[in-house]
Amino acid sequence: MNRYLCRLLGHGVAVLLLGTAYASGAMAADNGDSTGSVWQPAPYTLGQGLYFPGTGLRIGGYADFNFYDVQGTRSSYNVRDLSLFLTQDIGTQWQLFTEIEAANPVSSRGRTDVDDAELDVERLYIDYHVNPYLNFRFGKFLTPVGEWNLVHADPLTWTISRPLSTSAAFALHATGAMMFGTLPVKGNDLDYWVFADDTKNLNIGDDQDNAYTNFGTAETLQNNFRQAFGGRVLYHLSGDSLSIGASALSYELESPRDKYFLSGLDFNWTTHYISFTGEAIYRSSTDNRPDERGGFVQTEIPLWRRFYFIERYERYRSSTPEQTSTIRTTAINFKPIEGIVLKVEYRDGTHNLSLAPTGWLASAAILF
Amino acid sequence: MRGHFRQWLEWLALGGLLAFAQVSWAASSQMAVITAPDTPHLTFDQNTLRNIYLKRIFVDGRGRRITPVNLPSGAPLRKAFAHTILHMDDDQLQDYWNKQYFQGVSPPYVLASPDAVVQFVAKTPGAIGYVAVCQVDATVRVVMTITLPSRPGDELPACPGHQALP
Repeated sequence: MNRYLCRLLGHGVAVLLLGTAYASGAMAADNGDSTGSVWQPAPYTLGQGLYFPGTGLRIGGYADFNFYDVQGTRSSYNVRDLSLFLTQDIGTQWQLFTEIEAANPVSSRGRTDVDDAELDVERLYIDYHVNPYLNFRFGKFLTPVGEWNLVHADPLTWTISRPLSTSAAFALHATGAMMFGTLPVKGNDLDYWVFADDTKNLNIGDDQDNAYTNFGTAETLQNNFRQAFGGRVLYHLSGDSLSIGASALSYELESPRDKYFLSGLDFNWTTHYISFTGEAIYRSSTDNRPDERGGFVQTEIPLWRRFYFIERYERYRSSTPEQTSTIRTTAINFKPIEGIVLKVEYRDGTHNLSLAPTGWLASAAILF
Repeated sequence: MRGHFRQWLEWLALGGLLAFAQVSWAASSQMAVITAPDTPHLTFDQNTLRNIYLKRIFVDGRGRRITPVNLPSGAPLRKAFAHTILHMDDDQLQDYWNKQYFQGVSPPYVLASPDAVVQFVAKTPGAIGYVAVCQVDATVRVVMTITLPSRPGDELPACPGHQALP
């Protein structure tokens, strides 16, 4: 996609949002029948999108600006993601959701502009709510493996760089059908997702799922599904303060063409003073390809109000390239106001040059 | 004798005041969960209510959309509700809704006052709200009452001019 088109899209979205907010006093909350009533529209706030009660339409999105100075490449900056969300209620049981993403609309290495902009349909699905415990989803959605992949937008993640175990072994997107919901189990909640993918026949957009998404990485392996079947469960304990998840996935990748089985575990434990997060995966193949395995443990410590210190340790055994990397990440995450996130981090490790090179990263992200 | 009688009267008055204060607190610390008279087809308990307000439940047993409504951020009753039912503080809730927003799920609508909640719920099939028990009127149905734990500094407002339902 031409970079000027992406820039035009970016400016267009910004103007649309600002103009609509100014002109119509757009609402973040439904005001029902507002004629002469006592309920009033809530003002627009960052991170909730613009809501148009008359149509059931919500428009929002996110954007991030990144700077990185890592081993093996010149210091660079880019607008990595400019995403637009559209949510549309259709009747009482259906809801349409789409995310259209302009990737790298602005990108520069050293003093050279780089043209690697892309425009793609990141997600496009329709949900059907059957009853309190069962929902169906049809279309292109995020693969339900672990927590990070389901909530990977920069304003919502603790660090700028992404752990390898959350992207390297499976496709980030699936296209097909999914059922999901929340069930009461022994006084706690159990979230579940079960999906079937048929990207081979149903591909939406020409998005290529990069296995290695970190800044400065030299590897360009792509992990698109051909077909997949799998699921995930997440059990909540003590309210939502402790969550334990498990994922299982059987799939065939486009390249390297082979059949794989992946199992994963993840957890999140939040207290008032410290939180811990972790994910681990193990992937085997039906061919003689080497197993892929790894995981990370991360701690988040609130230092002052919405100012956090983050420390993460990851160990990952990749099959392409065949090596074991260890990566240690130290980061600061600051949310000065709702919807704005500032991050700085330092990444280091062993055998990490090709997948997550050592260096400094910084980002400013907005959820609008 | 007269002095004893006066002292007895004073103790009686003091006791009455204390009892009145306790009754007032007991009344104001009761929260009512309300729906339109045509109640959603759900079994209401604290866990179901929590999942409705966290938007993990979207429709009732007949497939009818459920519309939970909130009081404004900072309202004492909303704080009490979030603490008692959702078990989350403000920052945890904000982080939760930011993540849900990324999935296309938005937080409950916010209405300006308990009166607005009662009126909205009465007129909207599938709507669910919460108000102090003394703010309920005959246009809505109470599906749950919740006794709120006493939290110093978070006392709920009194309800002058409202008639509580028995």
